Amino acid sequence: MQSSAFQSAATPADAAPAPFLDVPTLLESSQPRARLGWFWYAGGGFLAVVLGAALLGNSSEIGRRLVELLSAVLMLGLIVGMSVLTVVTVRNHRGEQQEVEAAAELVQLRRWPQAAALLEQILSRPSRTGALRSGALMYLGAVLARYHRFDDAIAVYDHLLEHDLVDPASAHGLRLGRAMAMLREDHLFDADRAIAELRRTTSDAGIDSAGLALVEMYRDVKTGHPAEAAAIFEEKLPALREALGHRVGDAYALAARAYDLMSRPGEAQDSYTKATLLSPLMELHRRYPEVEKLYGRYQAAPAPPEAA
Amino acid sequence: MLIPAETAIHRFRRDMTFGRLVKGLFVAAAVAAFVLPLAGIRLDPLMVLPVIACVFLALSVGSIRGSRLTADSPSLIAAGRFEEAEQRIDQALRSFSLFRHVKVVSLHHLALLRHAQRNWNESAVLCRALLGQKLGSMQGIGKPARLMLADALLEMGDVRGAGDAIAALYQQRLSLAEVLKLVAVQIDHQARLGAWPEIFAGVTAKVQLAELMPAAAAARTQALLALAAKKTGREDWSDWLRRRAELLADFQKLAADRPVLWELWERKVEG
Repeated sequence: MQSSAFQSAATPADAAPAPFLDVPTLLESSQPRARLGWFWYAGGGFLAVVLGAALLGNSSEIGRRLVELLSAVLMLGLIVGMSVLTVVTVRNHRGEQQEVEAAAELVQLRRWPQAAALLEQILSRPSRTGALRSGALMYLGAVLARYHRFDDAIAVYDHLLEHDLVDPASAHGLRLGRAMAMLREDHLFDADRAIAELRRTTSDAGIDSAGLALVEMYRDVKTGHPAEAAAIFEEKLPALREALGHRVGDAYALAARAYDLMSRPGEAQDSYTKATLLSPLMELHRRYPEVEKLYGRYQAAPAPPEAA
Repeated sequence: MLIPAETAIHRFRRDMTFGRLVKGLFVAAAVAAFVLPLAGIRLDPLMVLPVIACVFLALSVGSIRGSRLTADSPSLIAAGRFEEAEQRIDQALRSFSLFRHVKVVSLHHLALLRHAQRNWNESAVLCRALLGQKLGSMQGIGKPARLMLADALLEMGDVRGAGDAIAALYQQRLSLAEVLKLVAVQIDHQARLGAWPEIFAGVTAKVQLAELMPAAAAARTQALLALAAKKTGREDWSDWLRRRAELLADFQKLAADRPVLWELWERKVEG
């Protein structure tokens, strides 16, 4: 009874809820489990079976027949066992893969709470493979950025990049996300360095990155260089439209802010209208707080009542 | 270098049959190793089975090479490196593989390549050949193949064939990427039939999905939705969707690909 009272008194402190999407914990818990060294166990077992069979087989005729029978049964059991093991492993792997794909779809559909809950569940246990873990971590970075936890998002992106856990194309996307998160968190020096690195890698590969153009526009708007932001926008608009699809609305929003800073209200209004045609106002404000300053000063594009 | 579709299909069918035959031989050999000693033939299963396993393993390792060859093809196609992709696919189709999926995926990638090259006829022929096979555990590949077939048939003007191709997909569970493609193809198909009220039904959800599509598909889908809105008397929706489409693609190109869309820009062109 006393013990029970002690336990209940101790409960609130001990059972403090784990923080939601705690990055260090999830990075640790999702590490794939170390493989057991089955080779030496299997080798030892095989040697024991061979020695036992040799001893039994040499002792008598009955022993020899028994060894033959047991060997056949053992071989059959091994084949069946391996097949069952393969089927179970493939099924489990496919299940985890489907979970990661579901998380990706939730992120794409902007169902952030559901995506966050699913990613927490996936990353709270050891992953089956490094590739599945990397995929889940990439989506975790996107969810954290959405919740404005930019330092946590940067930690996830750094982990993936520093340990070389993703392919070059995904690494480029992660570097863009990391640079954007740095800008949002006012780590301007780090962001500038990250952008310079991105520029170097894209130039080496001969790629014209629309994502990089968007990050540079944001950097220029944020640091009070609107003319540079507007120049990038005017030069890269076709590429931005092609690569970003509806997210070209982000570029229009940043251009509107740049034109506004340059006291060019006509162009600012035009870009603001186009930005709000493509993206909801709330979404633009959430992504770029600087764009919020335009609210009320410029007219948003009218939308049908059901779509507004 | 261009692999003719008929040659690829012939090679695919031949290799599938040969692969089945080889696997059948392995099963028969394994069964025989147990059964023949019972029939009085002196054969030690302990000696025979490891040999069979080793040969199977050696052929499996060789088959993995084909898997590796096919793995890069989609990214090469997406990057527009068609010649390189074609070389990889050709090698994968020529190489021996015990595993059916290597051949199925290679043929699918060839259909994808032809689709990217806007060679609609060959793409459709390859998709039909793929869908004509018993896909078994590879059923998943049937869905993108159907969507690709429907798209190719629409481009070729075969509206009925496109409708038949996508009809089977309505009952199936699709991934988000497949849903996006299906919505785009379905709206395009209904536009050919002039089913404007059906296109406009559920417009809010369709617009949300269109926002997730690549720029060209998003523009075309929203332009067709704008036309459907116009035809059903919703000028507010029509105007909003048309302006969005204009921001995502060149309207003249959109209307050149789908002449029915000129109706949206009549005034602009006249002006």
